[in-house]
Amino acid sequence: MASGDKVTLTNALENVDVLDDLPLPDQQPCIEALSLSVHYRADFDTNFEDKNAFVTSQAKYTEQATVQADLNLILEEGQEYAVMLYTWRCCSRAIPQVKSNEQPNRTEIYQKTVEVLQPHVNKLMDFMFFQKKAIDLFCDEVRRLCHREKRTDFVSEAYLLTLGKLINMFAELDELKNMKASVRNDYSAYRRAAQFLKVMADQQAMQNSQNLSMNLATQNKIRDTLKSMLAEIQGYDDLLADVVNICLAMYERDMYLEPAEKHMLVKVMAFGLFMMDMEKGPNIYRMNEKKKINLAKIDKILKQLEMVPLYGDMMIAPYNYIKNGPNFDPSKWPACESSQPSPQSNLLGSLELIRDRHMEYISQLARQSNEANTTMREAPRSDQENRQLTELALKGLRLLSRWTQQVMELYSWKLMNPTDPHANKECPEKAEEYERATRYNYSTEEKFALIEVIAMIKGLQLLMSRMEAVFMDAIRRHIYTELQEFVQKFLREPLRKATKKRNDFIRVIIMSVRDTCVDWLRGTEPVDDPALIGKKDPSDGFNIKVPHRNVGPSSTQLYIVRTMLESLIDERAGVKKSMRKEMDEGHVAVIEEFHRRSFFWGYLLNFNASLFNCCDLSQLWYREFFLELTMGKRIQFPIEMSMPWILTDHILETKDPSMMEFILYPLDLYNDSAQYALMRFRKQFLYDEVEAEVNLCFDQFVFKLSDQIFAYYKHLAGSIMLDKRFRAECMSAGEKISYPVANRYQTLLKQRHVQLLGRSIDLNRLISQFVNAALQKSIDVAISRFEAGDITGIIELEGLLEVNRLTHKLMGEYLLLNDFDAMLKEANHNVSAPYGRITLHVFWELNMDFLPNYCYNAATNRFVKTKLTFEKDQKRDKPPNASVHYVWGTRRLNHSFTTIYSLYSGFIGAPHFRTICRLLGYQGIAVVIEELLKTVESFLTGTAHDYVATLMRVMPDQCKLLRFDYGSPGVLHYYQATLADFIQYPDLRTEVFQTFKSIGNAVLFCLLVEQALTQEEVYDLKHAAPFQNMIPKPYIPPKEGKDREAEAKQVMKQLEKKYAALKVVHVIEKLGNKTQALIAKDGDLLTRERLCCGLSIFEIVLKRIESFLTDPLWHGEPPANGVMNIDKCNEFHRLWSAIQFVYCIPIGDNEFTVEELFGEGLNWAGCVLITLLGQQRRFEALDFCYHLLKVNRVDMKEENVKGIQLKKVVDRIRKFQILNNQIFSVLNKYLRTGDSEVMPTEHVRCFPPPIHQSMATAI
Amino acid sequence: MSEKQQPVHQRPLQQDWANREYIEVITGSIKKITDFLNSFDTSCRSRLATLNQKLTELERRVEYIEARVVKGESL
Repeated sequence: MASGDKVTLTNALENVDVLDDLPLPDQQPCIEALSLSVHYRADFDTNFEDKNAFVTSQAKYTEQATVQADLNLILEEGQEYAVMLYTWRCCSRAIPQVKSNEQPNRTEIYQKTVEVLQPHVNKLMDFMFFQKKAIDLFCDEVRRLCHREKRTDFVSEAYLLTLGKLINMFAELDELKNMKASVRNDYSAYRRAAQFLKVMADQQAMQNSQNLSMNLATQNKIRDTLKSMLAEIQGYDDLLADVVNICLAMYERDMYLEPAEKHMLVKVMAFGLFMMDMEKGPNIYRMNEKKKINLAKIDKILKQLEMVPLYGDMMIAPYNYIKNGPNFDPSKWPACESSQPSPQSNLLGSLELIRDRHMEYISQLARQSNEANTTMREAPRSDQENRQLTELALKGLRLLSRWTQQVMELYSWKLMNPTDPHANKECPEKAEEYERATRYNYSTEEKFALIEVIAMIKGLQLLMSRMEAVFMDAIRRHIYTELQEFVQKFLREPLRKATKKRNDFIRVIIMSVRDTCVDWLRGTEPVDDPALIGKKDPSDGFNIKVPHRNVGPSSTQLYIVRTMLESLIDERAGVKKSMRKEMDEGHVAVIEEFHRRSFFWGYLLNFNASLFNCCDLSQLWYREFFLELTMGKRIQFPIEMSMPWILTDHILETKDPSMMEFILYPLDLYNDSAQYALMRFRKQFLYDEVEAEVNLCFDQFVFKLSDQIFAYYKHLAGSIMLDKRFRAECMSAGEKISYPVANRYQTLLKQRHVQLLGRSIDLNRLISQFVNAALQKSIDVAISRFEAGDITGIIELEGLLEVNRLTHKLMGEYLLLNDFDAMLKEANHNVSAPYGRITLHVFWELNMDFLPNYCYNAATNRFVKTKLTFEKDQKRDKPPNASVHYVWGTRRLNHSFTTIYSLYSGFIGAPHFRTICRLLGYQGIAVVIEELLKTVESFLTGTAHDYVATLMRVMPDQCKLLRFDYGSPGVLHYYQATLADFIQYPDLRTEVFQTFKSIGNAVLFCLLVEQALTQEEVYDLKHAAPFQNMIPKPYIPPKEGKDREAEAKQVMKQLEKKYAALKVVHVIEKLGNKTQALIAKDGDLLTRERLCCGLSIFEIVLKRIESFLTDPLWHGEPPANGVMNIDKCNEFHRLWSAIQFVYCIPIGDNEFTVEELFGEGLNWAGCVLITLLGQQRRFEALDFCYHLLKVNRVDMKEENVKGIQLKKVVDRIRKFQILNNQIFSVLNKYLRTGDSEVMPTEHVRCFPPPIHQSMATAI
Repeated sequence: MSEKQQPVHQRPLQQDWANREYIEVITGSIKKITDFLNSFDTSCRSRLATLNQKLTELERRVEYIEARVVKGESL
């Protein structure tokens, strides 16, 4: 918009209307109280400043308005002093005291004391003057009204109410002044210093200081002064009786809206009665007898409200005033004297009703709000609709006010009725006063009820505030119409009657009412209205059209109209000239009804203010009274005693799903309190304290909430993962493993802008941060647990990683979490290092535990732990001591999963290898195998090499294959004798075997890992196949006369077409850009060719091991005959034959077998070495045991040779022969893969038959 | 407005109604503007939060990738 352009009003208004059309999406569910960044409130209350404009009103009422305006100013001032007193914090305690008269800096201390306290003392001085001024003004008013001439005059309801408010103010100030000892202490500290310094020079100042001292020191000073001054006024009791009666009437007829007003009425009744009760003079019991007042009714009310909230934790007990009356008669107060608890202590009883009302009202409101939000109106609302909306608004305000009252009244009652260790077992003996009044004073149900009601109040406040524009429009229009209809149409009838009867008095008032607020159509009063001259309307009626406007009457206007109408219908005793009797009964009824309804117009026209006053729960936090009681021991109470936190924490602790969505409402109480500290108390320190508490609470809140959200989802994930049959079987055995109770955390997780003390908080982000950390820790715990155990724990590790992955997935829907794999890499310390903790631990365990301690068995394809370990026990880290939700979720789940996984802890087999493959990946496996090969190398060049060298020396030089003639016992005997040294070698059965077993285990590990890896790869490929256009060929049944192949081709084509959309490369080429297409192609190629060239890890492993065997020790000297060694024992296979002979000899009953101790790893080691050394054939041909077996096959002898059962030996040999054959075939399969194609036939070197030397030379 | 028939004392009152209606219209409009500002505020906060989330995510990813890449260089 260019500057200088003129914008017309219409344009401007249109621009404002256009704002409605802008879409302002906000995705978060509304579970928060009303929080406005900009709060706009227009206040048109003039406090009667414009009274002179209404020239047509009667002078009497304008005069009353003037007085009221003055009294209102006094009330405001009184309010400020009340705030000052309530929020007074002791200063003198913080000031250093002068300890002795000799102290050198004593003057300085006194000077500073005076300097610091002076501004506060000035305020106190003002307060004293104010007391006098207010009491004087009040007494003057009472005196004026009680004047003999005036006594019979009409005094308006509004005016009496203002007097009531003054009485209330006196009562409050008096209570506050009594309560605050710190005010007195501060003043005496000041006075001491001031007297020493002689600051107060003149007489007047001295006098004032003395007076103030007395004033502060005297309890009940205000009320006693007031009472004694009132006592001097003739007939004041009647006026006060009027005030009390009007309060009673308003209380009974619900003629109040805001909670403070209700409480004011009650206080005025009690305090008013106290003022009227004199030792000599007026006596309320006598007045009661004369029916001037009704004590029976008041008795009930005072019981209903035993404790009336004042500020924060300050209460007034109204009945105490009655008790302190000089003529107190308990028999007249049966209800108050009864020991039954006051109804105000019982919120639970009315909870059901509150819920019903809330539900009912919310539905009504929803209907209206939907209509207002979704439909565009062609025509303005009808009068009927406006009326409905106005009534709805009023109903809402009253409900809110009612609930706020109930909350505050319960709170007040609880504060004044603290619990004790007898009543509440949880309350410790040493609990302090405030703690007993708050923390331990509410039952679980009461806390929930409070939370629920607070949630209703805050929720409804928000809804109503959103409807404010609609409500205001309807309210103004309705009130305008109502008022104008009343003055323009209805008032004509009483006017006609009064004119006819020539009752000028009534006529003047009615005309005056009319003139004060009439707004004629087009500004023109209808001409010749017959009602004005007391005549009847013409037969076709006298038609008056009432205009429509969107504005209500001004505050003064409304006051004048209501007061003048009230004077018409007033029927209070003592007023002589009642005009009521002069008027038609029907008219009186209508006027009364109008008067009653219009009472609420003021509130409705100030809808915004009323709404906030009706929902003000700020006082739940303030505790100045209890702080004062601690006498400086406490600067502030901890959050555990603070109501807002007690309620918030209660939800967090109980985790009640139905309450979870309410959790932000109790927190909003801090907003209320902070607002009150700033706007009403105007005290920076109070705001700071609220803020400090909020900072503390909010951290706790986020921590507790995030923690339980994480625990909840972990529990859920754990429950999902738990085997269903396991669960069912546990169930049938009476053990219930429960799923978590569904909770509504989602709503909380969607909160992105929670308003707290004017800050906008992204709850989602905070929880995300925490949960990220928790998940990270959880993964870390999983890995640490693995690190604390042996290699079988890898299965549980994978399970734990999976449960975390599932948790991540479940929460990832609502929260921004790091990529799970990235988190895993981080926990695994694998981000910038090539191998992580898991790989390292796997390798560590392989080296330290698996190789030396496990025994392989081909039948089960498993390794089991050896019966007797030769190694020292491994020392591992202690398992981390993490809470259950960092493991499986709950204690029960932990137990279940531990039980399940314990099944995998006794062996190492296929599942473990598969898991290792999945967790380590190619890189990890490569590292592990590489390292294993190094271990093998170190064996083959170290320990094993040395043992072989040693044993070779022990071996006999020659060892023959004996002829069959010796028979098998002979052969056995021969070998035993020949190999005696060897057999007796001390380390043979332990260290030597152990070394070879380790080598064998390492080889076996590589073999089995490759098998597992291949299976995993096949899975991968099969999963990838559909996306790579690999479709399994369908079966085509053979049929005569049909070309099966052609049909198969056709079917394949159809299938290809059907699954074309799944082809990744094709799809990316079509939809993605060039780079993407290229990447997709490469990826596809990589997957396709993964297993193509048939590389084998195991083959490479064997080749590498072969390369370690360079030492001539392994091969022995070349044969002397140039062909092969037959009887000479210098090759490795001969050594192995001897070893085999040793372990084929059966053992005694109590000894462990070789299989138990070493497993097949031993055999594997031998076979691998033999194969790699190319000695397999020689071994098979020349092995001692095999020979023994062959011989035994022939003679079938079963003798006992030197305590050895031949039969057993032979059986064992047979078993090991089969095993060896299996191992050789496996090895050959891997080693000969490449050769078979290139060299289909085995190359045989043919030697010519040996020729005798003599013959050779001959040739 | 036919001022001839209107009693003199009535005119200011009559005018007052019109003026106050005008004030109400202006007040109402200001109220609407504040309502708009408030919902604009929440809406913006919600969108900024989403944006913030996306940026955080990118930032973390970059951090992670950086960490991964640095490994490549140091080896």
